Amino acid sequence: MPVIPAELVHAGGQPSAADLEASLLAGRTLLADTPDNLLQVVDVLQSYGEVLDAYSINLIHQAEKQFLNPFPVFRFLDGDLSPGRIWRHLCHDRINYEYAEYCMKVMLWHGTGGLDAYLDSPAFQENCRAIIARKTRRDPLLAVLHPLFREFLPELIRAAATTHALGQFWRVMSDLFLDLARAEAAGEVRTIEGVVEFIKDALVAAAGLPITYAVEVAGERLWVLPPDAGLTFLVDVAVPYVEAVFLRGTPFLGTVSFNAQAQQISPDQSTFAYGALFADPLPTMGAGIPPSLLMQDMYRHLPARLHRWYDERTRGEGDVRVKICMSFQKAMFCVTNAAIRGTFPQPLTASEPAAREANRAHAAAWALRLSRARTDALDAEAEPPQA
Amino acid sequence: MLSILLLIPFLGTALLLLLPGDPPPGRMRAVAITVLSLQLLWSLRVLLAFDPGEGALQMVESLPWVDSIGLDYRLGIDGLSMPLVLVNAALTLVSAVCTRDISQRPRIYFALLLLISGAVNGAFLADNLLLFFLFYELELIPLWLLISIWGGADRAYAATKFLLFTAVSGVLILGAFLGLALFTGSVDFSLSPVLSDRLSMGSQLLLLGALLIGFGIKIPLVPFHTWLPDAHTQASTPVSVLLAGVLLKLGTYGLLRFGLGMFPEAWAVVAPWLAIWAAVSVLYGSLAAIAQRDMKRMVAFSSVGHMGYVLLAAASATPVSLLGAVFQMVSHGLISALLFLLVGIVYRKTGTRDLEVLRGLLNPERGLPFTGTLMILGVMASAGLPGMAGFISEFLVFRGSLPSYPLATLLCMVGSGLTAVYFLLLVNRAFFGRLAITPPTDPARDSRLDVRLAGVAPRETLTTLGLALGVVLLGLVPATLGHLSESTTALLAGLPSLVVASSGAGGLG
Amino acid sequence: MSPAPSLPIQLVWLIPLYGFGGMVLSLPWASGWVKRNGPRPAAYLNLLVTLLAVLHGSLILREVLTIGPQHLEIPWFQAADLDLRIGFDLSLTNLAALELVTFMSLICQVFALGYLDKEWSLARFYALVGFFEGAMSGVVLSSNLFLSYFLLEMLTLSTYLLVGFWYAQPLVVTAARDAFLTKRVGDVLLLMGLVALSAWAGSLEFNDLYAWSAQADLSPLAATLLCLGLIAGPMGKCAQFPMHLWLDEAMEGPNPASILRNSAVVTCGALVLLKLMPLLRLSPVAIDVLLVVGTISALGGALVAIAQVDLKRAFSYSTTSYLGLVFLAIALQLPGVALLLLFAHGLAKALLFMSVGSVIATTNCQDITELGGLGRRMPATTGAYLVAAAGLTGLLPLGCFWCFGLMVERMAAMAPLFAGVVLLTNALTAFNLVRVYRQVFLDTPHPKTKRTPEVNWLMALPMVSLTVLVLLTPLVIGRIDPSPGIASFSWLTTGLVVASGASGVFVGALVPLDKFWSRSVVRPLRTLQDLLAYDFYTDRIYRATIVAFVAGLAQLTNAFDRVVVNGLVNRIGVGSLASAEALKLGVSGHLQTYVLTVVLAIVLLFSSLSWFRG
Repeated sequence: MPVIPAELVHAGGQPSAADLEASLLAGRTLLADTPDNLLQVVDVLQSYGEVLDAYSINLIHQAEKQFLNPFPVFRFLDGDLSPGRIWRHLCHDRINYEYAEYCMKVMLWHGTGGLDAYLDSPAFQENCRAIIARKTRRDPLLAVLHPLFREFLPELIRAAATTHALGQFWRVMSDLFLDLARAEAAGEVRTIEGVVEFIKDALVAAAGLPITYAVEVAGERLWVLPPDAGLTFLVDVAVPYVEAVFLRGTPFLGTVSFNAQAQQISPDQSTFAYGALFADPLPTMGAGIPPSLLMQDMYRHLPARLHRWYDERTRGEGDVRVKICMSFQKAMFCVTNAAIRGTFPQPLTASEPAAREANRAHAAAWALRLSRARTDALDAEAEPPQA
Repeated sequence: MLSILLLIPFLGTALLLLLPGDPPPGRMRAVAITVLSLQLLWSLRVLLAFDPGEGALQMVESLPWVDSIGLDYRLGIDGLSMPLVLVNAALTLVSAVCTRDISQRPRIYFALLLLISGAVNGAFLADNLLLFFLFYELELIPLWLLISIWGGADRAYAATKFLLFTAVSGVLILGAFLGLALFTGSVDFSLSPVLSDRLSMGSQLLLLGALLIGFGIKIPLVPFHTWLPDAHTQASTPVSVLLAGVLLKLGTYGLLRFGLGMFPEAWAVVAPWLAIWAAVSVLYGSLAAIAQRDMKRMVAFSSVGHMGYVLLAAASATPVSLLGAVFQMVSHGLISALLFLLVGIVYRKTGTRDLEVLRGLLNPERGLPFTGTLMILGVMASAGLPGMAGFISEFLVFRGSLPSYPLATLLCMVGSGLTAVYFLLLVNRAFFGRLAITPPTDPARDSRLDVRLAGVAPRETLTTLGLALGVVLLGLVPATLGHLSESTTALLAGLPSLVVASSGAGGLG
Repeated sequence: MSPAPSLPIQLVWLIPLYGFGGMVLSLPWASGWVKRNGPRPAAYLNLLVTLLAVLHGSLILREVLTIGPQHLEIPWFQAADLDLRIGFDLSLTNLAALELVTFMSLICQVFALGYLDKEWSLARFYALVGFFEGAMSGVVLSSNLFLSYFLLEMLTLSTYLLVGFWYAQPLVVTAARDAFLTKRVGDVLLLMGLVALSAWAGSLEFNDLYAWSAQADLSPLAATLLCLGLIAGPMGKCAQFPMHLWLDEAMEGPNPASILRNSAVVTCGALVLLKLMPLLRLSPVAIDVLLVVGTISALGGALVAIAQVDLKRAFSYSTTSYLGLVFLAIALQLPGVALLLLFAHGLAKALLFMSVGSVIATTNCQDITELGGLGRRMPATTGAYLVAAAGLTGLLPLGCFWCFGLMVERMAAMAPLFAGVVLLTNALTAFNLVRVYRQVFLDTPHPKTKRTPEVNWLMALPMVSLTVLVLLTPLVIGRIDPSPGIASFSWLTTGLVVASGASGVFVGALVPLDKFWSRSVVRPLRTLQDLLAYDFYTDRIYRATIVAFVAGLAQLTNAFDRVVVNGLVNRIGVGSLASAEALKLGVSGHLQTYVLTVVLAIVLLFSSLSWFRG
């Protein structure tokens, strides 16, 4: 057996579910509090915030301006049809909006939470009927297709609704992450604990924001997600988003076989563990790994400080996107950490047994799920400088 | 003109040895690269002056030396040696360029490299048996030193084995040459066919047999091959490049030039056996390669298999097959050099060549994607995929040999199919899958491994890129090389049939 | 003398180069040279060059329609009696195939833009597709066997690389390996045939070979081996039993490549066989082999397809089945029908795979039993499936209906048994298509199909265009083969074809469906189900025979090498140096010994020669 130099491979530790539960209940952060971790989390979230800003603008543009457009050729241009923008688009010198669409599809497909429930409600069907009636009046193609395929247009409207809701969600998250970066620069946030608290406070503050969506069809403004549906930011969009994108995800063609006979993919979506917290960062930018698009977008918006930090480690610029992915995973654990904290049923300081038991159950449920995630990202281990 | 091809490397050797003071290794390397570039340029200059229409030796230079024993300084070049001189110049340059971070005795190292290149040139150009032998021996000692000083952990064993085998090879070849003088009673060591009017068939067979084994060790042919995998695994990458790319060709060159060229009658008699020997060698090498875990050993065994094609072509000795032999020598030189360079890169970055340990090296950010891409190209070329040098060589060899030895040719084609098997195993195991350089144990644990290999700098891959381009170019435009060698191979192929026609005793099956 | 051909015809050699050029153009992105920008320009450039290839091909087609077939040759390599040329035959058939190949490539590339929209290695994919397309368009135009072989091998390589596109996925690794090796076996056998033909017949131009075969004087054994070698290559390419395994595994590759593979690539392989057909009269045995292989592939493929739960595999086996029918037609010397079937099948199967691709893209699932209820939500996908299914079976008057009619009519006259094979295959295929349709498109939505909006326009547009084209197939094949007309079969034949198709549809509509992947409780039925689902256990048979044999031989050789050869050498080495210690002597000691030996040898040489002269 050959001897492999230890510095070439590194395997992270795997805390048990009990350890994770204890950390959560004790109010400790999942991610170790080191200066390196803080720098990575804050800066990667800053670039993520900038990317989310673009994603959010585009998703809202798509949902409002490209609604039921059969050939949305220019859907990534945000309505800006200047030659310069088209040329950059052709050169692929742009944000990879495909990743935003992918997240939307994942969310739609997994279909959990309040938004999804509303999409199946009679009220929503009524909205659809009104929109379709107005739309088919002017559009002969849809007028022919709709009676033949009754679920065709409602399904597209559901996709559009999810698109818009995700756009609104990311609007909030983008602002949050950019605020975090400003707060850190101003010295208001100095620890990982500070980061988690900052995110938690922002999430709690935004929890009640209403999620609404209206489209203009043939000059008339019609509601798809009306205010009286009572959809709100945290429970109806954020939680399903975390469930769909952070936890469940979809199997990547580049790592998992879709072959039915091989039975590599569970028939039950709710047991999927392909999300951001579970993903292996090493194959980033390889074939069949969709988050590569996000890593590329963040790479293009990397703060100079983090870029320098990366340049001093492993291959420098050569594997920068894998390092972004690793940092991103750490950041996502912080966000998850904040979300868990924000959703504890009782204050952690509560002493009565019933409250403690409720908190314990909440923490245990999360710890169980996270114990299979890529907790090796949580290690305090410092990246060795480049040889 | 040709003497300059010897002078450049030999003077370079002297220059390196006499360089005053204690210059840093980088300076030594620069000197060696300059000298070798000059050699390559001069080889190209010779190529320009070369007349491809002429089949016999040209640009002959003659100087009586030790006349009493028939040792003349006679050099000449023809379509057989011209491509090999070019390959020698190119690959020695490549191996000098890819020698980096040499700390131990750089002066001697580069001097030996130049010495080998000069000696190989001499052997390819010699138009006198004894002169050839001198150069043939001259190249052995430096190579032996290169393995035994700059080799791997087990280098003493490998170097000794190499030495023993090649010493026997040298003794046999010398014996054959001396025997020729002894039997014919004249000390004429010029290169001219020895026919039965001068020498009985029995003596011819005896001498040819000695040559066959002598060169068979060098090529190497089964069962005299066992020094090669050991030498390769212990040698450093540049030495492997030189060994596989250039030095093995001395064996096949000798076989064609002295075996076929000097004993065409006896050759015709033993040819059917040679064809079978070739098939055995090809199949043996390929099958043994399948079972290897060490990438370098695998490539080494593939050499055993692929050099067998040259023997098959030589046995058939038709114009097409002999042209195929030249093609195979050149393309094997380029392809095996490429493969050894790539394996060298993998070894340098990961510290292992074990196929049970390496996985997923194609990983774009953390792996060796460019090396992997070229590796795919290299193994496909070696497996004889069209569009690359291996295919046209094999096609010519098979096409030329099939009418004479159908069975042996078909078996060799099976060997060509087996090449695809082992090289595909190599690529699939080492380059596909998730990146890891540890033995697979627990899949969950494996997927958490963070692998931190150093990146491959562009300058490290420059030589491989050049070789890869050469392989593709030769595969797409083979007419260039064909044009260069055709006259000579036609002349060479004419020998046995001439003999058969004149003597009436056909030996061709 | 016809007038000098126009510029497009003189530049026909550019057609394969468009594809290869596309590959070269993609390199800056595929190699990661362009780091800040994404890989899409490579895709656009490939689309552009493919469009050029389509246009160039149609220009030539138009001209050839008026001035008749053309032939172009460029010398490539010449040595002694060997003359290898790059030759193009611009016949109507070849050009029609070229249009099929380039158009399919174009449409697949558009589809891939949608299907692989979140794929970062897009440039590599397009580079490979360009390579693929270049090789295919060369194969269909080639006028000599050498060029055909040359490009078929390139196809093998590009199949390997395309199947291995997602190289980090474990099953892809084995799939790519098996695809390459299976095809390689066929290719090596074809190479044997090629080399033999080159040696015996001299020229490798198909026309010269036909002339040669008419008066060739070969022993029956040689002729049989030659012909078997020649059919082995196309057998591998067309995934015929027993070399069909790779196509199943190749479904691990990206779907756009599967579209091409199941339509265009198999067509290329069959076209080479068509071009070789006149040579096969040298050997009746080879014809029999073709018939047997074709029959087993047609029926076996159709049966295995029925037992698949994987959406892609259910139809990849059907490709094996249809190519089996093509083999039958070729073996029975019905080239015209074979061509029509290839054309009709190629278009319809491509459409079917596009439909399958959009189902997979929407549901992230390939398991038929986990799908359901897509029919009411995805009009383009459902429509594509229905039209493709109709185009593949002999029931409605779309492409394959006419082909089956012609086949049955001709075969009934000379070999009624094979007419039965065609009808049975038709029925089985119809059954399979209906069963899958019921499970995927009808039924109630399952969890994984609860939210299934129609695919994006980049997938929908090519799908709808191809749907229209498949609907128009009868008109097109009517023009390709005007005599004796595609409807030249009797009402009885029509009745038989329709009846076989209808019976398949009928049984398929009534048979109970598995809810989740479940096996029958009746033991014999379960055995049969498993046998078919696991493709007659072909992979296990291979592993137990050929693979085990080669691996065993390799281990044996290696052991022999280490123990016997190496052991012997070590012993001799030790003996010759008198003691084992000598082997462990330091480096310098050896150098001295060696130099001494050489000096001694040279002294001996000199003195003996002096003595000899004196």
